[in-house]
Amino acid sequence: MKKNIFGVLISCLMLTAFSASAAVDAGNAKAFVEKVTQEGLVDIINSNVSQQEKDRRFEKLFNEALDLKFIGQFVLGRYWRTATPEQKKEFIEVYRQLNVKTWSQRFDEFRGKKFIFNGTSPSSSANQIFVNSSVPMDQGNPASVVWRVKQSGNSFKIVDIIIENVSLAITARNEYTAFIKKSPNGIDGLIKDLKAKVRQN
Amino acid sequence: MSKNRRLQNTKNFRIVTIGAPLSEIFPKIGKVIPTTMLFPVDIKLYCCYIRQKFTDLTRKGHMLFKYSLLLAVLLSGTAFGVHAAEDNSDWLESYNRAVFNFNYQLDKYTLKPIAKGYRAVTTPDIRNRVNSALFNVIEPVSAGNHALQGNGQKAVTSVARFLINSTLGLGGMFDVAEGWGLKKNRTNFDETLATWCVPDGPFFMMPILGPTTPRALTGTAVGAVSNPVYLSTLNDANYRDKITWSYTAVDAIASRERSLDLLDDLEKNSVDFYTTVRSAYMQNRQSLRQLCRSNKDDGKASYDFDFEIEDEDEF
Repeated sequence: MKKNIFGVLISCLMLTAFSASAAVDAGNAKAFVEKVTQEGLVDIINSNVSQQEKDRRFEKLFNEALDLKFIGQFVLGRYWRTATPEQKKEFIEVYRQLNVKTWSQRFDEFRGKKFIFNGTSPSSSANQIFVNSSVPMDQGNPASVVWRVKQSGNSFKIVDIIIENVSLAITARNEYTAFIKKSPNGIDGLIKDLKAKVRQN
Repeated sequence: MSKNRRLQNTKNFRIVTIGAPLSEIFPKIGKVIPTTMLFPVDIKLYCCYIRQKFTDLTRKGHMLFKYSLLLAVLLSGTAFGVHAAEDNSDWLESYNRAVFNFNYQLDKYTLKPIAKGYRAVTTPDIRNRVNSALFNVIEPVSAGNHALQGNGQKAVTSVARFLINSTLGLGGMFDVAEGWGLKKNRTNFDETLATWCVPDGPFFMMPILGPTTPRALTGTAVGAVSNPVYLSTLNDANYRDKITWSYTAVDAIASRERSLDLLDDLEKNSVDFYTTVRSAYMQNRQSLRQLCRSNKDDGKASYDFDFEIEDEDEF
């Protein structure tokens, strides 16, 4: 009997240890990011279709590749918990729209350039991994672009993009929490301003 | 109020404008660092502006608190990290925001239009030549700093690059040495200090100069006095100021042009430009921590943090 309990305990321990260390499939994570950048650069930016069609394709790729619900929840920080379900929904939607516009413009600047992948590195979150890449520039050192990829089951999602050591998620969180703290209208004020940004761009 | 009286008042608030009082606090260093190199625009103008800002703060009763903090922090060089998750490290926020707005307006009507004009009248190729030449000038500074960081090979590479590019590369306009396998590897005194594990200190905005930290500012000042353009004209009473001024102006315009797109992109997508600039600047500086040997051991990238959400809710 005692032996049995020990056996169960040990197998439990081994299971958790195993699942923690083997949680992220580095090879597939890298392949996933390579596929996304390939699609973004070659099939969308460098293709010969109308701007409208390009925007539509990019938005589709973006929605599939990024876990914006996860990022959006993180960037609101402690204000996420105080938000109403409507505010949450509205924020995620406008945050998604703004990011689609921002990143399609940024990818446009990468026209004619390519990503060179330099392997992966572990992260402090068990189910996430960094995929390292660099983009050669006309002048100066190549720009470093690191993709933080989250795995759940067999599917991968990008949860952070780090350009030259600057993380999209941390910057947005600092910015949005600072905005809400100052704004008299709180989260609604932020949503209103983000909507204006989407219209402007 | 007479002009004299106004300037006299300004003196009481000198600490925030480090460049201006330097010659009074440290007469010797004041002679070595030409204020023209640090601040190309009339110093008195922004002294008055900041004095006004600080008077406002005094009325609100904040001033003594902030003022002593700034002083204590600058002198001791205490380290404040940027915390990824909760960001409470901006002790000087109201001062920083005031200077940020001032710099923003100043840039909008001076340096930015000039940089845009420069871009309009030059081709990318010309700008590349100018940038290369500017970087070549400070190659010896990189060499010296590589040596200080204990990296002999890189120091020698930098010296070789400087000699080859200054001659065969026509004054540094063309990077001949890169083609010969002598890869460019720039460094500066700020990175040397980081290698020596000197803490960075808090973020603060310098009038005109922009975002900085005590360590970055030290790096800039040492970079200015070790600049070959400055050193080589030191004994030339006739042309010293003219050369230093023109070099500073060209350098400022070229570097503003290089950051035009990046800053426009950041501003366009941001609801709080100050926080965005501050956050991006400090994240970039966090990565220099890795240069210090005792920080290398933890092996964590500067942008790594525990990215978990407590309860991923459905809505």
